[in-house]
Amino acid sequence: MIYFILQLLVLFGLVITAAAVIWFKDLISAAIALGASSLILSLQFYLLRAPDVAIAEAAVGAALTTAIFIFAIRASQREEGYK
Amino acid sequence: MNWKMSRVVRTVTDVMVVPIIVFGIYLIIHGHLTPGGGFQGGAVVASSTALLIIAYGSFRDYKKDFSSVESIGLTLFIFLAILGILLGATLFYNFGAGTGGLFGGRVAEGINPGYINTGGTVPLMNIMVGLEVTAALSLILWMMAKSSDSMEVEA
Amino acid sequence: MRKIFALIALLVIFAFMILAVVEMRGEDGGFGEPVNTDMDDYFLEDSQPHNQVNNVVTAILFDYRGLDTLGEATVLFSAVSGVLTVLRKYQIKKLEVKK
Repeated sequence: MIYFILQLLVLFGLVITAAAVIWFKDLISAAIALGASSLILSLQFYLLRAPDVAIAEAAVGAALTTAIFIFAIRASQREEGYK
Repeated sequence: MNWKMSRVVRTVTDVMVVPIIVFGIYLIIHGHLTPGGGFQGGAVVASSTALLIIAYGSFRDYKKDFSSVESIGLTLFIFLAILGILLGATLFYNFGAGTGGLFGGRVAEGINPGYINTGGTVPLMNIMVGLEVTAALSLILWMMAKSSDSMEVEA
Repeated sequence: MRKIFALIALLVIFAFMILAVVEMRGEDGGFGEPVNTDMDDYFLEDSQPHNQVNNVVTAILFDYRGLDTLGEATVLFSAVSGVLTVLRKYQIKKLEVKK
């Protein structure tokens, strides 16, 4: 039962962070929300008993992808849309 | 690449970088006993590089070092694979399992925690792939950070 | 009209996938038990006596399916080559200064 409740919470958090990525107009906030979504996805992988994939997802998705998105936003503009 | 973040971020980075690197090396070396392996450990070590670049922002030219380490790791990985053919078996043959040399110990049957001196060529390939992945991801991060600052924004 | 055709096509694909999942269940009727487990049993039994490795996932990644890992490393290498090729702007500036 506790496993079921934990997995339900993780899936709700995944949906909420994935909606926040689309909802934010500030691109750095969207990149950080994408990192949070990836971290929650790695927790879901751990709950499904795949610790290998969880470690790879946490390292690549939450750390490296966020850093590369932030560098790319630094080279372009911060707000969404054309000016 | 000449920004610098606040003192809080730099102090937390100084404290956290060494445990992250040690955890990544643990994941690489214990790849044949615990969950993890070359790719996961290399990604964890490369995330410490991302932390250092974001916190400090000024680095000297590490491009040739990262590129050499990456090429050496991939070449030694392919060499270990072809050594299986040269020793009279197939590609990626595990020629070091149970021979008593380096990583050549024997494991017990059934469910057991295991020893680190087992596995044959599998730990060696883990170390090579770990070197390659660490250098490759660090090089991608370093190039993105280097060129994100000198790039002109098109109006 | 195009949307109706797309909806019908999606519903047919969805029905076939549901049918495939229902056909995939084991003989006992449970959804959790896979049917074709010959390779799984071979890897689980063979990785300790033959390869002397306790972690079966690493034994598959680096020994039985080592060519996949070689391809993954090659993909990473070509990604680094592409990044170095696209972002070489400051080197061109240095060369122009030397002329």
